[in-house]
Amino acid sequence: MNIGPILRELRRNDRQRIHWRFEVFVRPLKPALLATAATLMFLFSCSRPAITTAQADTKPEAARKPAPNFTLKDASGTRVELSSYHGKVVLLNFWATWCGPCEMEIPWFVEFEQQFKSKGFEVVGVSMDDDGWPAVKPFIAAKKINYRILLGDDSVTQLYGGVDALPTTFMIDRDGRIAAVHVGLAGKDEYSNEIQNLLANGETTDSGRRARPVASLLAGSAK
Amino acid sequence: MPVFLQAQQSKITITPPAPIAAKRGGTVTETLKLEVLPGFHVNSDKPKDEFIIPLKLTWADGLLLTKSVTYPKPEEIKVGSQDLTVFTGNFTIETQFEAPPKAPTGSGIVTGKLRYQACNNQMCFRPMTVDVRVPVVVE
Repeated sequence: MNIGPILRELRRNDRQRIHWRFEVFVRPLKPALLATAATLMFLFSCSRPAITTAQADTKPEAARKPAPNFTLKDASGTRVELSSYHGKVVLLNFWATWCGPCEMEIPWFVEFEQQFKSKGFEVVGVSMDDDGWPAVKPFIAAKKINYRILLGDDSVTQLYGGVDALPTTFMIDRDGRIAAVHVGLAGKDEYSNEIQNLLANGETTDSGRRARPVASLLAGSAK
Repeated sequence: MPVFLQAQQSKITITPPAPIAAKRGGTVTETLKLEVLPGFHVNSDKPKDEFIIPLKLTWADGLLLTKSVTYPKPEEIKVGSQDLTVFTGNFTIETQFEAPPKAPTGSGIVTGKLRYQACNNQMCFRPMTVDVRVPVVVE
């Protein structure tokens, strides 16, 4: 028996049935689906900015330890104490002029300094160049570094666990606690997310007073 | 490998040099055999960037005088946007020594220092200086 015509007829009926279902159930919903998708895309684009590919990887507040304080000189000879940055989010970067991966990060830090300084953020670079300012100053000029550079020494690196590998970067929260550590080259997005995450956790006002996070205000638990 | 373990290790191993014999008034060549740990590189003796620390072998004049130090041809690699000239894996450095005509005969040690700075694609390690000692017999 030749079943070919029967199969063709069944397939034709299937195609018609599928087309009918699309016309009855899906087509009327199409504008609504499109509108919903557009609304969702709009809402995502308007939510908190720039959480891009990498996730912020900061430690929970309870697990953070105080960043050891130190005093070092900057390029102008001014003595700078880390504790003077209390109330700000600090990206503390140990680096050297001879370190290629460090050099790759520097343009990002220049950008972060411009982007987030007004929100209570500072980059502090600690150079580990044995040759001192004669090596570091030309590098600062060549790379147009816009943030403060201090000349490090072994007594400071010992406070931070030795810092044998460069770059090593500590993300310090507004309370002067270490929120994240990166040994070696990290991702720009990773840094950016951590900075924004830490900045969002208690923004400073123009008068320097800490703004209370919205969530804590709602919970009534802010100090 | 954890970073703290990486940091504790020298990134270069030097094969202990065999004794060399030099005749008074003559020259002798010492070939130093080195190996960079897998995954790491050390800057060459002539880096392209002025800020990069070159590898350098220096010898203290004593029994023998240093006539020349010859480094191998480096590899060219790119790390990020940086063009680097580096040594990786096994390589040798040749030194030509001269025994002064009035050098005292007998055995002794020639001492040198190898300064280098190692990196991998993610991080760099602080410059290191290691001592090199070559047993010498002057005839």
